[in-house]
Amino acid sequence: MATLTFHSLTGNLERIPASCSCSNPRMSASFHCNSRGEKRVSRMKVKAMGAAKYKGTQMREKQLAEMIEKKVTEAKEVCEGDETSDECKVAWDEVEEVSQAKADLRLRLEIEKKDPLEFFCQENPETEECRVYED
Amino acid sequence: MAVCTVYTTQSLNSTCSISTPTKTHLGFHQKQVVFYSTGKRTSKRGSSSSGGPCVITCSAVDSQTVVIGLAADSGCGKSTFMRRLTSVFGGAAEPPRGGNPDSNTLISDMTTVICLDDYHSLDRTGRKEKGVTALDPRANNFDLMYEQVKALKSGVAVDKPIYNHVTGLLDPPELIKPPKILVIEGLHPMFDERVRDLLDFSIYLDISNEVKFAWKIQRDMAERGHSLESIKASIEARKPDFDAFIDPQKQYADAVIEVLPTQLIPGDNEGKVLRVRLIMKEGVKHFSPVYLFDEGSTLSWIPCGRKLTCSYPGIKFHYGPDTYFGNEVSILEMDGQFDRLDELIYVESHLSNISTKFYGEVTQQMLKHADFPGSNNGTGLFQTIVGLKIRDLYEQITTSKTATPLEATKA
Repeated sequence: MATLTFHSLTGNLERIPASCSCSNPRMSASFHCNSRGEKRVSRMKVKAMGAAKYKGTQMREKQLAEMIEKKVTEAKEVCEGDETSDECKVAWDEVEEVSQAKADLRLRLEIEKKDPLEFFCQENPETEECRVYED
Repeated sequence: MAVCTVYTTQSLNSTCSISTPTKTHLGFHQKQVVFYSTGKRTSKRGSSSSGGPCVITCSAVDSQTVVIGLAADSGCGKSTFMRRLTSVFGGAAEPPRGGNPDSNTLISDMTTVICLDDYHSLDRTGRKEKGVTALDPRANNFDLMYEQVKALKSGVAVDKPIYNHVTGLLDPPELIKPPKILVIEGLHPMFDERVRDLLDFSIYLDISNEVKFAWKIQRDMAERGHSLESIKASIEARKPDFDAFIDPQKQYADAVIEVLPTQLIPGDNEGKVLRVRLIMKEGVKHFSPVYLFDEGSTLSWIPCGRKLTCSYPGIKFHYGPDTYFGNEVSILEMDGQFDRLDELIYVESHLSNISTKFYGEVTQQMLKHADFPGSNNGTGLFQTIVGLKIRDLYEQITTSKTATPLEATKA
């Protein structure tokens, strides 16, 4: 069961893709025109669960999502002073790292349909991480 | 098949009985087997010269691992290219069973894919302290990378560190056994000259800025915290290091897959329809570049017409020789999309030197992974073809080794 939250976002208009369909079927961005005839992005945030089988993986997804948010905020703060500083570069590199890690996990769950904890949990079904997640 | 040279401390015809143990525990690729002879030649000096060990050094020709390098900025071991490549060899690639669930390594029957992030010398905290990004060579241990790739190539297992992308820490190492084909994937496979020399084939995945931006939007837009600004800022901030350290590697690659926005749709910036160029170096051992119709000539080809109906925006090919960073290359280029199976098979039937084992193999591989990104355009097509070329390269290398005549030993 998915909950949908809509946020509208003013983007850099010339760069907005006219249609943004992702390989991820859970998510898509749609566009509408506001009263001034400008194109705005509606970002559909889907909190759909179901791909992660084990609690440990679900926790990890959540952790990565929180990290992304946190690190984007940090990067914005750090870069306020000097955009070309080393600290700024490193901060955005961290954002990239966790964004990619989250995307990799999602890809693994959705395209390969395999929970990374599968083998671990076969050996250790009793651990907290291996509780089967139920919706 | 192994060529074994026997060295003995005394003449062979004494009593060096070679009773081979049926099962050795030294691992798959074994370099030396030591046998003890039962020679009873005694000497006044004691037993040192009687029945000394016969050391047989096996240069097992089938233990030569083929090493492929893949430079890509899209994470490790889980990229679509890796999946297509391992699929060409058969079997699904999976993380090592029973090991660290955050391992970046993928193992299938024939191939092992190693993520070069595992050779980070600085973890996330360390990099923050020193003010270096993961792209910076200072964050990576090239000595260790070289040592371990060299060891694996010569048939020796290694304990490779694990860089955990979730925690940002370096985890305890995992054992990697030498596979038939070792793929090293990451940001710096061709950065260090010593590692470069170990590669039998190297590929660089060159994504243009516009396409990178479009792909990262698709990847990140649904994440809380991300916006177009943050995605753009992240790409911009990493660009100086990327241009300084990663991009120059493409001059060393045997094949570059360049992904650009399409030219078929004026003003398109969606990054959905792509123009993909496969830049293949000439003169690479065991690698014959793919060509269209007439090798070495230059031509443009639009397959859509009377025999083949394509939907908008269609497909356009280009092929021709060129130079790339001072090297002679052949470039095969595809712009557009496949919408139907028959388009794909039609195109396949007109390409040459694609190293397929049967007609339609490329199409079959593409269909097998129809849900992978790029399955309807040049990225999927060229990744699949490069996979087949690597298979061909592997077979050529292994065949040439077993063809070496056996050396007879003389005592």
